[in-house]
Amino acid sequence: MTWLAIAASALATYLVRAFAFTVAFPSTPPRRVARYLDALPAAIIAALVGPAVLVPNGHPTHGHELIAALVVVAIVARWRNLLAGVLGGVAVVALLRLVLPA
Amino acid sequence: MLVSVMVVGIPFGIVARQSGLSPVEIMAMSLFVFAGASQFAMVQLFKDGVAWPLIAATVLLINLRHMLMAAALRPYFAGVSTARRLAAAFFLTDEAFAMAIGWFRRGRTELSYYVTFAVSLYVLWNTATVIGMLLGPTIGEPRRFGVDFAITATFIAIVVIGVRRRVDVAVALTAALVASALAYLGASVIAVVAAGALAPLVALLSRDEELA
Repeated sequence: MTWLAIAASALATYLVRAFAFTVAFPSTPPRRVARYLDALPAAIIAALVGPAVLVPNGHPTHGHELIAALVVVAIVARWRNLLAGVLGGVAVVALLRLVLPA
Repeated sequence: MLVSVMVVGIPFGIVARQSGLSPVEIMAMSLFVFAGASQFAMVQLFKDGVAWPLIAATVLLINLRHMLMAAALRPYFAGVSTARRLAAAFFLTDEAFAMAIGWFRRGRTELSYYVTFAVSLYVLWNTATVIGMLLGPTIGEPRRFGVDFAITATFIAIVVIGVRRRVDVAVALTAALVASALAYLGASVIAVVAAGALAPLVALLSRDEELA
């Protein structure tokens, strides 16, 4: 199951990369297509974030994850530093779970 | 840019190991999938128990943007055999694209620049994965130290760094809220693919700002 997922993901990723490199995909695709494709990765990643923050493990959050998420947004928006944001978020979640157990 | 690959690759190795994936599985992801955000997404989806076709579909959607990049690079590879183009395609990443297109637009034509840079990224990404994988088990119980939140925090950071226009924020919030609603209603298996594929439509509704 894990191996099938890895193999299928590897194949999907490679086909996408190889397709336009060899087959004639237009160098300047229609504006709307370009716009959609441009917005897609961030949308998928945000879709992974939503449930993890608001409904972690299938239950509405106690607020820990939401507060930590806002801290990450603030740190990264201010300093444009991925690692600082991640460390800050992890520290806040750990602290909140310690002082305010669910 | 080469340093930033290590900064993302090491945490990938750590969270993948913490999530219970075996070292062989983790290495296979970095060696064969070789796509940062997708690999983090896969770890999250494995944890959520999502079936393999949906995992592959999610990865496909995340990487569809590479079609645009490959199409933009293709003219510069016009004089190269198909076999070499197929090889070059394997190493295509956001970072390699950014460096190569800058190089070509300055009027340079040497393909060795792309090859050297793209392959270096590959080697570094895999090295970082190994380092993270070895560090993973040394970081105690994940929940207690908030390490289980590291993937989510990484995703948030990737999205925030990628924001260039106001509509990007609208797309991200739409995706996050739709996915949460679906997950809350019990449709967590399709939440990510469905919300991720729908939310970019918001970008099409906004008035035509120039792409940054």
